Amino acid sequence: MKKLIAILLTGILVSILLVGVYDLPKFGRADNPVNNEVAQRYLKKGVKDTGALNIVTGIILDYRAFDTFGEAVVLFTAAVAVLVVLKREDS
Amino acid sequence: MKNTILKEVSKIVIPFIQIFSIYIIFHGHLSPGGGFAGGTIFGASLILYRIVYGKGDAQKKISYKRLMHLMCISLIFYGVLKGYGFITGGSYIDLFEIPLGTPGRILSGGYILPLNIAVGIVVAMVMYLFFTLFYEGEV
Repeated sequence: MKKLIAILLTGILVSILLVGVYDLPKFGRADNPVNNEVAQRYLKKGVKDTGALNIVTGIILDYRAFDTFGEAVVLFTAAVAVLVVLKREDS
Repeated sequence: MKNTILKEVSKIVIPFIQIFSIYIIFHGHLSPGGGFAGGTIFGASLILYRIVYGKGDAQKKISYKRLMHLMCISLIFYGVLKGYGFITGGSYIDLFEIPLGTPGRILSGGYILPLNIAVGIVVAMVMYLFFTLFYEGEV
């Protein structure tokens, strides 16, 4: 019974995700939402805004610094989880 | 591990690895690299030290307490600096604005350099922590 419910739930989830993927815009078209003014702005004004020559660092640590904070928190959480599971108590 | 050759060679190699990682972290806003890459290399040097010199010597350099303090302090530093504004709806702390400086110098780019260092410390400590936990089960 449990297995049947799990299979059913998985099927529903997969179908929902596939419907979502089907609605995505086609790859490589010029009027996709990806091709907006954001990339142009980053390339043109990145150095002036952030002072970083490496535009990737300028984006991940200045425009989208909160996202990188999330990455660091993910690493920290993984470390704490491994610590809880694997650290010996008697040391 | 008791091996004289390994010890003598790693005595020479480890400082170079660490200087290279610091170079990568400090040039994160000028060239490819940054906190994640540099921190990984730094963690690799710590792992090498741990393998060659064993648990006792490594714990003298980086004890469990110091490791956790470094990791938490740099994470909180990052969070206060950049996460605060998102909780309060876009109003940042009234920190003094670090001047951006001339692009191309090491001391430029405002808060990018301290943030890179914070990320590097977190990544290095996580690498070392993972290795020690999976290898010996204690830090």
